[in-house]
Amino acid sequence: MMDCGHYRRAMLAEPSNDDAELRRHLATCPECTRYAEQLRRFEDRLDRALRVEMNPPLMEQRVVTPLRAARPRGARPWDPPHRRWLAAAASVLLGTAVAFSLWLAAPGRSLAADVVKHMAEEPNAWAHTDIPVPEPRLDQVLIDSHVRFRVSAGLVSYASSCSFRGHKVPHLVVQTGSGPVTVMVLTHEALRSAMRFNEQGYRGVIVPVRGHGSLAVLERGPDMDIKAVEGVAARVQSALDWTT
Amino acid sequence: MKDPVGGNQRRARFQSLCQSLRPDLLRFAFWLARDRALAEDVVQETMLRAWKAQDSLLDESAAKPWFLTIIRREYARCFERKRFVTVDVEELIAKEEPMLAAADDQELVELRAAMFKLPGEYREPLVMQVLMGLSTAEIAAELGLSNAAVLTRLFRARKQLRVMCGEDTSLDPEE
Repeated sequence: MMDCGHYRRAMLAEPSNDDAELRRHLATCPECTRYAEQLRRFEDRLDRALRVEMNPPLMEQRVVTPLRAARPRGARPWDPPHRRWLAAAASVLLGTAVAFSLWLAAPGRSLAADVVKHMAEEPNAWAHTDIPVPEPRLDQVLIDSHVRFRVSAGLVSYASSCSFRGHKVPHLVVQTGSGPVTVMVLTHEALRSAMRFNEQGYRGVIVPVRGHGSLAVLERGPDMDIKAVEGVAARVQSALDWTT
Repeated sequence: MKDPVGGNQRRARFQSLCQSLRPDLLRFAFWLARDRALAEDVVQETMLRAWKAQDSLLDESAAKPWFLTIIRREYARCFERKRFVTVDVEELIAKEEPMLAAADDQELVELRAAMFKLPGEYREPLVMQVLMGLSTAEIAAELGLSNAAVLTRLFRARKQLRVMCGEDTSLDPEE
């Protein structure tokens, strides 16, 4: 039989540990339940603390500009030794340009990666079910984002206010004919254009919502194609009533 | 004969992979080096090396550990080249203050400063687990440790952080 010390040591080393014996202990121990809640809050803060903002402009100043400045003036491309040198320099510049273009393109991709990472942290949300979240609970989750969801638009089986990139954001699961679809209302994440993603078994779209950030809609598994996900995103978007 | 179409597709996939991983790789390098400029150098070099060696990445699902290995090697190289002298951690915190700032959350600032004070042997596996989402076995493989040793380091890392941040540790277990 597991004791509290064993449980807490295991959780402090690996808070996401989902071992059956640990769960059994948790179900019977109020003190460890309190401890698990403490740890969950600490872990949430730790996750946010590690996600420091890394802005790109310094890269241009520190890496690309000096390389451009290092290019020789008046070099004759038909001169074999110079041509070899230029080829090498071009290779370095090309590699740097590729790396820099990756850097510039990063924010949207990074947002998708963070959405997917968040999904992995809440596996229970994906259950197939026909039990809706009570409307008051749904309203409570959405209230800070100043939005309401018209429940006639679809059965919402899961609603939670989640920490995401330093903000509390609504995380909903809507049941569709092809299975559950997750929706995240990202009022703090402005996006210039819609983007598709397909990462770690999740397919989805993040669409800009004018004046209200963006909306991430994603599914997992082989049942739905990306067009269907986009259709769900459009339906969800039209079912949202913004209150500001 | 080379297959230019297949090659282009492969390069595009690799580019997409780099795009999705880059922000977290930068953050990982930052927590490893505790120095933003150095982290940028390390990730820049890492991307160039990864680009040249992309054919050696046989399984995209193993991309994260693959990149982490390159980053850790690059960091070690930078460390050797620059021959850093021992620095006061409070100086490091002051130098990177803009990076550690959080607009409206003093607790995050304190936690970030505490991360800077955490010994590297505890900080590195913790960042691998929390930020990069690596499993205990993956961290063990990356650091050349046993699973048990990794779990011990993770346990100590959180225990020390919680004390440094003034958390209620009355329920924390003894080692």
